[in-house]
Amino acid sequence: MQANKHLLLWSSLVALGLLVSAAVQENVYKDWRVLQASAAEAPGSPGPIGIHLRQVVVPTLHAADRCVTCHVGMAAGEPVVAGDPVLRPHPVVGHDPTVMGCTACHGGQGRATEKDAAHGDVHFWPQPMIPRRYADAGCGGCHTHLAVPTLTSLDAGQAALERNDCLACHKLDGRGGTLRPLGAGGMEGPDLSFVGARGFPADWYEKHLAARERAADPASPWTSSFGKIETEERGSIEELLSSRVGAPQLVRAKATFNSLGCRGCHKVAGVGGDDGPDLTLIGARDPGRIDFSRVKGRHDLATWLAEHFRNPAGIVPGSAMPILGLDEEQIDLLVRYMLSLRRTDAPEAWWPKDRVRAERLGEREFGEDGATLYGSFCAACHGPAGEGMRYPGMPAFPAIGNPDFLAVASDEFLTTNIAHGRPGRRMAAWGATENGLRPGEIAAIVAHLRTQSGVTREPDERPARWARTDAAAGGALYSAHCAQCHGDKGQGGEGPALANGALLGAASDTFLYETIRRGRRGTTMTGFSQPSTVRPALDEAEIESIVAFLRTWEKQP
Amino acid sequence: MIATPPPVDKRPALQRFLSNLRGAPRALRDTALRGGKPNTDRTRSTFVFGNVFLHLHPVRTHRWSLRWATTLGLGIASLASFLLTLITGVLLMFYYKPHVEVAYDSIKDIAFVVPTGNLIRNIHRWAANVMVVTVILHMARAFYTAAYRAPREFNWLIGMGLLVVTLGLSFTGYLLPWDQLAYWAITIGANIAQSPREITDALGVTESFDPGGLQKLLLLGSDQVGEEALIRFYLLHVMILPLVLLGLLSVHFWRIRKDGGLVRPKDADARLGPVRAADYPVFTEAPRKTYQLAAVVRGTSGAVGRAPENTVPSMPHLFYAELAVTMLTIAVCVALAMWSDAPLKELANPQVPENPAKAPWYFLGLQELVAYSAFMGGVGIPAIVLLGLGLIPYLDRETEGTGEWFGGRAGKRIVLQALFVGFGAALVIEYFAIRYGWLREWFPNIAQLWITFVNPGTVLTLIYAAYSMWLVKRHDSTRAGALGLFTCFLCGFVFLTVIGTHFRGPNWDFYWSPADWPGH
Repeated sequence: MQANKHLLLWSSLVALGLLVSAAVQENVYKDWRVLQASAAEAPGSPGPIGIHLRQVVVPTLHAADRCVTCHVGMAAGEPVVAGDPVLRPHPVVGHDPTVMGCTACHGGQGRATEKDAAHGDVHFWPQPMIPRRYADAGCGGCHTHLAVPTLTSLDAGQAALERNDCLACHKLDGRGGTLRPLGAGGMEGPDLSFVGARGFPADWYEKHLAARERAADPASPWTSSFGKIETEERGSIEELLSSRVGAPQLVRAKATFNSLGCRGCHKVAGVGGDDGPDLTLIGARDPGRIDFSRVKGRHDLATWLAEHFRNPAGIVPGSAMPILGLDEEQIDLLVRYMLSLRRTDAPEAWWPKDRVRAERLGEREFGEDGATLYGSFCAACHGPAGEGMRYPGMPAFPAIGNPDFLAVASDEFLTTNIAHGRPGRRMAAWGATENGLRPGEIAAIVAHLRTQSGVTREPDERPARWARTDAAAGGALYSAHCAQCHGDKGQGGEGPALANGALLGAASDTFLYETIRRGRRGTTMTGFSQPSTVRPALDEAEIESIVAFLRTWEKQP
Repeated sequence: MIATPPPVDKRPALQRFLSNLRGAPRALRDTALRGGKPNTDRTRSTFVFGNVFLHLHPVRTHRWSLRWATTLGLGIASLASFLLTLITGVLLMFYYKPHVEVAYDSIKDIAFVVPTGNLIRNIHRWAANVMVVTVILHMARAFYTAAYRAPREFNWLIGMGLLVVTLGLSFTGYLLPWDQLAYWAITIGANIAQSPREITDALGVTESFDPGGLQKLLLLGSDQVGEEALIRFYLLHVMILPLVLLGLLSVHFWRIRKDGGLVRPKDADARLGPVRAADYPVFTEAPRKTYQLAAVVRGTSGAVGRAPENTVPSMPHLFYAELAVTMLTIAVCVALAMWSDAPLKELANPQVPENPAKAPWYFLGLQELVAYSAFMGGVGIPAIVLLGLGLIPYLDRETEGTGEWFGGRAGKRIVLQALFVGFGAALVIEYFAIRYGWLREWFPNIAQLWITFVNPGTVLTLIYAAYSMWLVKRHDSTRAGALGLFTCFLCGFVFLTVIGTHFRGPNWDFYWSPADWPGH
């Protein structure tokens, strides 16, 4: 019995000791308790704060965010607390954190009360916090910034704004707004940082002119800083202002995405190509399910994305995405935009206007002008200015900005090519039923190609099919002069495949004839009306016979 | 005996009142214990049989039962861990909400916000695991000391029922957190329940006769894990199975007493020797009554042919032992709970399967077999094992070595040999199957029925059965065969569980370590 008594005594003492230590840990040494207690001792502190759990509950968003247990200053009705920076209040933003909660924007685990778990830096939390430097990516959870133009347009708007000294009176993205139009003590010009969301009067320019008339004081900023603005510059300024929603870096990131032609391969919200993965929810990917074995540095989504942009196939073996040669700033912006592609689970009544307009009314996230559309959908393959692209391991992408091409290609030919693509080739069909471009948008792209190169189509009075000469002779000429690049059976090689029903169906005889005759400057396709060192010139009849020979392929299945 | 009336208190009423008030705590204790302070043989006895919680115990306990080596305290440890899960479980029920929308959040709240909630949940989880382990070990103890022999055959069956209910309790609790781990483990479990389809499919009768589908439907209430399954598992976990367990447990304890206490060797008294002077004297007062009931019970009389000196009063000897084991179990569970958190993965997501999806650890040995044949691993072999275990007391009618660990030196040698055979056979079969594959790899078009009946699990079972038959013949003893078979199955269980837990990764492929899994 003595042994049993000892066993009882010692195991009781051990159990008791463990329970006491657990109680002490729970009630005294919890991180948040220590942190809240430190507020009392901090220099300049108005006094201790109540040490208890705090939370923001937003039933609509299914959120109980206890972040404010440590970030006490961000809780509703809490005094500004000195001491540990964690206790600081939230910076002023568009949304009140005591209404929206924390995780809707920042991600992380709102229910947790321990730092690593709350920030989501634990193994089993699928949505860790968005890194602080990309914080505005959180806006993407609810907002869909509409009609974001290309980077060029944004830069043009910024330049116009600066050139016309608007920032003298107006604040924009935290800059400017030092002058008071009505003298010292007067009101400053309105802050323009959010006008894209709140709207601005269409006749702002006329109003400014009228105000300038009224001021009439030569020393007033109305006279010194405001002057006539050209219509074109006003357009640029308005385009910039429409995109100001308080998240300049995110808008810039989206503009970068819209300039690099990413949608040529990737879909976002149902619009874009099918070659690459759909990016609609890429920013919500669970880091626990990503392969980090080839990624150096922190194992978070931002690092993975950045490394992936530097060398796609090095991170995802077998990836078809080429190395795009992006600079670090572009990579940083693209990472920011990718992180913003997420969805907070909010009921429709809570949706912001922009999201309703995008998802219910069919408005576009990208600008619908030709330049933005071209930048968003075409630039990755055909080059930012239509100069064509070459990526290692892929056939060359055609230079569709080539003047020789645009001179002979009709608008219908271009439209057909864009809308229906080239079956069997990389060019996808972009029509509304396939990849989501509307007829007006395709027309805008065609118009953009024309204005960009400044080449109009040469008038052509002839019907679409006029070549009537001997196809057999053309076949012999084809074998001698064309087959090297375009393949014996027109299957393509260094040059594009010519035995392609879609191409032959859309191309007129004049298009084929003129392309053979003049060639394409800057490409390996030389004009055959001129002799070269290895072959004689072809005469008109011979070229026509080649066209007739090409037509024989059109009838093949 | 005629009770003498108490002397009349002649003091003034106020004095009597004050004196009664002073004496109230003492009177409270005396009335609560019915017999007063347990300091004589009589009051100690009353303390036991007069107490609803203690009266399942005998009033006096044999000294053999109190030796640590007799039971290792495993039965009491199982009970203690069960009580621990019961108490912590009730505490958890205050906060847990059994609905798919909020179940996961409520567990998060328990972990992060409820004061000491995380510790309580950890204790609950660890106590449950400790219970599974101690129940299995307790069964092994009962087997190796041949405690299942007459007259305890039926209590062995009750014990098997308790093992099944324990596993059921553990398994049903697994789903409640509603995280990925839970969701996919239960999905696996439900598919195992459905595995008789392997046979009915092969026979082409699933359309008309589908016991597997019915089992799964009964378990989940739907064709996949969802709200229906959660409610079912919750109800089973917090009400039905605990009640069944308590019922079986009462019978189990009651039968211990009725079957003559704990098993002990025939020569236990001789081996124990005389009572040491330090131990409590055997009787302080001479018995003054005859026991009429003794006329109808078996045997000649209470303690004929056996010295009563080898029993000691249960109060305090037995209760110190039981309390000591209980406190040790509590200390171990609390220490484990503080050392390691109960797992909680991300919210259950039916769209994203876990890979590998693993059942709770105690079923991973079966899952390893299920990888070859769902029916054999999930239903066939467990049924064979349970049937075999249940038959043991009715096949082994020998009396040699009862109450002796392994029945003596010869038995120890058999168990040692069986350890080698059990582990060796499992190792060879698993090595072969992992290295060279199995029938499907060699004959891609083979009928599933072949694999159902010829797979590593059935081959291993056959080897074990053949080995034990050989033991029966070699030692001319059923007990020898039983020792071999039980040891082999224990080895197989441990070996396969380790393989399933540690060495199986995505797609149930073999990996030396989880660190080698791709994608991490």
